[in-house]
Amino acid sequence: MTASQEVPEVSYKILVVDDEPDLEPLILQRMRRNIRSGRYAFVFAHNGVEALEVLHRDSDIDMVVSDINMPQMDGLTLLEQIPKVDPNIRSVIVSAYGDMRNIRTAMNRGAFDFVTKPLDFEDLQITIERTLTHMAEWKEALQSRDKLVALQNELDVASKMQQAILPTSFPSGESFEVFGNMAPARNVGGDFFDVINLENGRLGLAVADVSDKGVPAALFMMSSRTLLKGAAIGMGTPGGVLSEVNDLLTEDNETIMFVTLLYAVYDPESGALEYANGGHTNPLLVHADGSSEELPLTGGVALGVMPGLEYRQSDFSLATGDTLVLYTDGVSEAMNSEGEEFGVERLRQIFVDQPPTSAKTANEAILEAVANFAGDFAQSDDVTCLVLRRMGG
Amino acid sequence: MDISTERDGGTLIAKTGGRVDGTNASEFQDALKNVINPDDQAVVLNFEDLSYISSAGLRVILLTAKDMRTANVKFAVCSLSQSVRDVFTISGFDQIIDIHDSQQAAVSAVSN
Repeated sequence: MTASQEVPEVSYKILVVDDEPDLEPLILQRMRRNIRSGRYAFVFAHNGVEALEVLHRDSDIDMVVSDINMPQMDGLTLLEQIPKVDPNIRSVIVSAYGDMRNIRTAMNRGAFDFVTKPLDFEDLQITIERTLTHMAEWKEALQSRDKLVALQNELDVASKMQQAILPTSFPSGESFEVFGNMAPARNVGGDFFDVINLENGRLGLAVADVSDKGVPAALFMMSSRTLLKGAAIGMGTPGGVLSEVNDLLTEDNETIMFVTLLYAVYDPESGALEYANGGHTNPLLVHADGSSEELPLTGGVALGVMPGLEYRQSDFSLATGDTLVLYTDGVSEAMNSEGEEFGVERLRQIFVDQPPTSAKTANEAILEAVANFAGDFAQSDDVTCLVLRRMGG
Repeated sequence: MDISTERDGGTLIAKTGGRVDGTNASEFQDALKNVINPDDQAVVLNFEDLSYISSAGLRVILLTAKDMRTANVKFAVCSLSQSVRDVFTISGFDQIIDIHDSQQAAVSAVSN
């Protein structure tokens, strides 16, 4: 290996502390290859006090090799002082052969390793290399951790934004009640639901799932919600609403996020329900006796993908005692530790076992069943549920 | 994230197994970018071994489809399992992404 012409990848500055005057020329001679190649640069101090002065002056020092017995400040005392100047510096102590007590003290005071006198320079070089490798790995780990902390902070912000837009109180009337709730997943965000008061006493109900997570997804979610509300109040038909929201979302959608959205308009007087589906899971219609069926999809594409799409709609009538459950795939795709999915069948079974008695209890029963099913298995998606119930007149 | 590839004429066929969900979607996206060459004229994603895809995974497919369209490269997916097929149907993606039953059908469709 040719040492002299190589340009080293990294260059390390090593402070050697020893009161022995012959050590400096000895090190410069025995380490000359690494010095010439630029991998090591050595700085020398003759006791602990001088060493601290050097460390204060020179912020480039990567590691310290220090003797123990020195005047003015010995190596063991120096060890305690080094982290106060720079906690990233690692130290190797040079001790007398067999001096276990001092070696033990040095290790307790944070020395990374030790070498014994008389100095074996091959051993010293190996020890120096090990120390530097450790330091590089440590630095990388800290950077990863900082990135992780930053990411977690962003997700926390996104989560707060999401919580802020969800309704916490719901309209109700003589013949109907509504209740919605979401159990957020830790590191995924994206579901939202909304209840919109329309003219003539009608109600707009929406449940949605944004495809991404973090602050950009939360912003997209807020956009979608606002656009939906505007379009809903402005026009009547669910199909038209989805069309308009889709066109608006695709206009500025550089990051290619999309949102699956189910939007329904309910007329409490007649029980009539119109709905249009943009890529979202089918709603479940539960009858007073606990039997249920999935309402048919209307075939629409998730919103935000392509402009100019048409959204078909379907209509339906709720009978007295019927309960409509809108939900996101966090419910049906919730997993347990055996890798099983919750699925629509289990959802239906909840009501076979216990027919719905109110929108709130139906909602709670669903969230509870999903949580019980998943058990300890980490929730990987938001679990969202919006329930509408038509009561007896 | 393992993606195995083969080339048939100017068409790249990429196959991935297991699941694509929120935990590995961006890995999947990077892996796809790495296997696609600038001079590939068509790309087929073979989902025979894919057991599950979430909306995060769909997003990656969509991004890839859009990139391909911009670069004038034909794009299709094939051999979807029933459950993956259902995800495409519910989300409406079956209307905007070319789906074929077999690799052969997909490759001949994109090579025209």
